[in-house]
Amino acid sequence: MEIAEKLEETAREFEDRVRPQVEQAKKRLGAINEDVTDYIKANPGKCLLGALALGYIVGRIARR
Amino acid sequence: MASESNSRVGDDQGNGKGGRTTSALKRQIARIEDDAEDAWSRTRDVFSDVTDTLDIKGRLNRNPYGTLAAAIGIGYVLGGGFFTPLTARLVRLGLKVGVRLAILPLLNDEAANLVSGMVGAEGSSGSESKSRKGRQNNSNEGKVP
Repeated sequence: MEIAEKLEETAREFEDRVRPQVEQAKKRLGAINEDVTDYIKANPGKCLLGALALGYIVGRIARR
Repeated sequence: MASESNSRVGDDQGNGKGGRTTSALKRQIARIEDDAEDAWSRTRDVFSDVTDTLDIKGRLNRNPYGTLAAAIGIGYVLGGGFFTPLTARLVRLGLKVGVRLAILPLLNDEAANLVSGMVGAEGSSGSESKSRKGRQNNSNEGKVP
């Protein structure tokens, strides 16, 4: 019984310690995603041409 | 004197010819310019028609990552990477992941249903066998010992 309580306590501590970091990482990823989508929306031609070129290069490399 | 007048006439004739050729050249250049402008405007129209039909901006606004992935795929095919071992490997990996994501939940549900059905059948068959045994005992009692 004591072991179970101890395990529960350590799990709770771990959760308390990790949760803020996870939240921060989530926020950061959300901001990065927003930046990227904004950039793509602002420069559609550039991004599409870049993607086409990237695919072409990868296709060329795969062909060898 | 006669030779002087002759040379002047020749000059005039030369100037006339030159003027005609320059004007013809100018006209040709103007025509080429017009043709080039026409071709450029037609190309622009075709390009705008294609972009309007494909609605690339709308697609990018709605699903930017998907549109970029499609562009990468088109580039990959144009680069000649379609019939390659890399494509086969990617397709195999995609099928594996797709099967795992799509079919495994269904299989899990089926297995759960099967197990619950088996458990239910076992329970009911247990009670049924008990009642059958009871019926057999009763019939045995009626028979000659």
